[in-house]
Amino acid sequence: MSTMTQNVIDSPKSQSLIAAITQALDEEMTRDEHVIILGEDVGNRGGVFLATDGLYAKYGETRVIDTPLNEAAILGAALGMAVNGLRPVAEIQFADYIFPGIDQLFSQAAKMRYRSGGQFYAPMVVRMPAGGGVKGGHHHSQSPESHFVHTAGLKVLYPSTPYDAKGLLKSAIRDDDPVIFMEPKRLYRAVKNSLPLEDYTVPIGKAISRQQGDDVVIISYGGSMQESLKAGEALKAQQISTEVIDLRSLMPWDKETVLSAVARVGRVVLVSEAPKSLNFMSEVSASICEDILDSLEAPPLRVTGFDTPYPYALESSYMPSVNRILQAVQKVLDY
Amino acid sequence: MVQDKKLHIEAFSQEAFSVLADARHLKQADTLFSEHQLKAFYAKMFAARLLNERWLKLQRMGKSSFVAEFRGHEGIQIAAALALRSGLDWLAPYYRDTGMVYAFGMTAEEIFGQFMGSSLDPNKARQMPCHPSVKRLNIFTPISAIAAHLPPAVGIAMSLRYKKQAGVVLASFGDGATSEGDWHAALNLAGVQKVPIIFLCQNNRYAISVPLHKQTASSSIAIKAQSYGINGYHVDGMDILASYLLMQQAIEEAEAGQPVLIEAVVDRFGSHSSADDDLRYRTKEEKGWWLERDPLLRLKNYLKRRNYWNETWEGQLKEQLETELSKTLKNIEAAPPVPKAWLFEDVFADLSPHLREQAQELGLKL
Repeated sequence: MSTMTQNVIDSPKSQSLIAAITQALDEEMTRDEHVIILGEDVGNRGGVFLATDGLYAKYGETRVIDTPLNEAAILGAALGMAVNGLRPVAEIQFADYIFPGIDQLFSQAAKMRYRSGGQFYAPMVVRMPAGGGVKGGHHHSQSPESHFVHTAGLKVLYPSTPYDAKGLLKSAIRDDDPVIFMEPKRLYRAVKNSLPLEDYTVPIGKAISRQQGDDVVIISYGGSMQESLKAGEALKAQQISTEVIDLRSLMPWDKETVLSAVARVGRVVLVSEAPKSLNFMSEVSASICEDILDSLEAPPLRVTGFDTPYPYALESSYMPSVNRILQAVQKVLDY
Repeated sequence: MVQDKKLHIEAFSQEAFSVLADARHLKQADTLFSEHQLKAFYAKMFAARLLNERWLKLQRMGKSSFVAEFRGHEGIQIAAALALRSGLDWLAPYYRDTGMVYAFGMTAEEIFGQFMGSSLDPNKARQMPCHPSVKRLNIFTPISAIAAHLPPAVGIAMSLRYKKQAGVVLASFGDGATSEGDWHAALNLAGVQKVPIIFLCQNNRYAISVPLHKQTASSSIAIKAQSYGINGYHVDGMDILASYLLMQQAIEEAEAGQPVLIEAVVDRFGSHSSADDDLRYRTKEEKGWWLERDPLLRLKNYLKRRNYWNETWEGQLKEQLETELSKTLKNIEAAPPVPKAWLFEDVFADLSPHLREQAQELGLKL
């Protein structure tokens, strides 16, 4: 097996989120020959978003496997490989296409360790571009993260920066449980970070504060982090001191960081582009109300997508905008 | 057609391959199987039948919530288990395969421990009865969802090839499973990947109550293999000798990278499960016709013809098994109760904070 040093890719100053994902896959495949990739178009094509660009040429068809167009086959095969000691990374072309394979994920992979009394477990990662903002209509835009969180046995990650995408994907690949790795597709090339040259990971289950403040807390993750940060900037310009927290990990989620920030500030706005009913932020809101009701100055407000199918022409009205976030902040400040 | 010592079984034959009902093959069977082997076949089928019967009693006594009987399936199940190589090959069974996993090496304690939801279950008593498995023997944990174990079985076969491990995967299911999307997903992927896997359909012609002609308009299940570019075989699954010979050939083919589909025709002597009554959709006459083809009875007649069977031997088998089972059941009754911590453990490798918090509701400090 090659050593780490042979594999390090020279990082130019700014790397896109998609490039960070490719780097994580490449470095993990070099580090551990048990890591293999499977999915539709992941081979010669390099994936429809080019996440696996160059890996087929580098590692060959035994490690970068173009599968038939069948999500149950992809997810089931990944599970089978995982129980016999491999570390497959399955790509589902769009999060919207997880549904034909959902039984393999929900009935099989998620319950593997539990059902077998810990005899079999599934160190597999399921990557999927998720969320809207790319004019993709119903079936290239949805945010199904609540389904995953609601299914015991799955870890769910949703980074918003290239640095986190790379570090979290590495953690996911090294984790011994099935990890759903959701990628905000509209940020694939829209956000850039300089990435460390050395190997690093980002811990699963830890949120991060992107902006510190005392008047109001905005909590978000994934694609909506962009609007949340812009709202934070706008509020700062209005002398409203805003804390902006990026959850990064939805299962397990960092309740401690969230509760301590909200308890300190007393006002919170929760932002996620998924539909409103049973949005992951409903869970965050319920936890805040159950645990620290006394420290709240206003009810937690959610800014989310709507309980409609994901629209095409009216996409920008559906997505949580900076304006909608600012309106919600105003409401919790005025309460 | 029948050559010395070795029988080559043709794929996609019109008729089910048979030994005990085919005079030509039967003659050859006399040279193919030793006394020791034949008696081992019978002893395992007999033991499996006894185990099934004990289940029924225990379920009626309220010691278990559910039984999925396999009586009538013993021929192919025991043949498959004994043809496979323990420690090398993998089994991906379905919920009617307890005869198979027993003959493959699971102990009565592991099987009854699972059946009775006991702390002696290697799966920690988390699934309903009739889902036994143990990693020690490469037996993949069965799942209630029909055909959902087939794509992972292909994945296991892909991993064997990738890791250059010898062995094949046997994935077993009923006729209803062939209608599921996962069945197609698995056979299609296996055909493309050319991995060492045997798909075994135990065709008893009923998916609970729905008869085969309402399941598929295909002339057979074996023929479906053609559309996946793999070989399909049709065998009399109540004939353990035919089943064993076909399994041996299938293992060779699968190991050479040619996935195989076997359609083994059997009968389900009991109802679908203890929650079903098959006389709502089957006649006594139909059932009677199949009972005359009981796989135990047919092998017993063959053994008798060769003077390998006598009542004393069977009596000894029975006594030995009864003693062993009584001891096993006593152990299970005496086992400590299922620890409450098992409710929260094994969701993930480590107990996550939210589960630790939830466990406190039950007064558990984990």
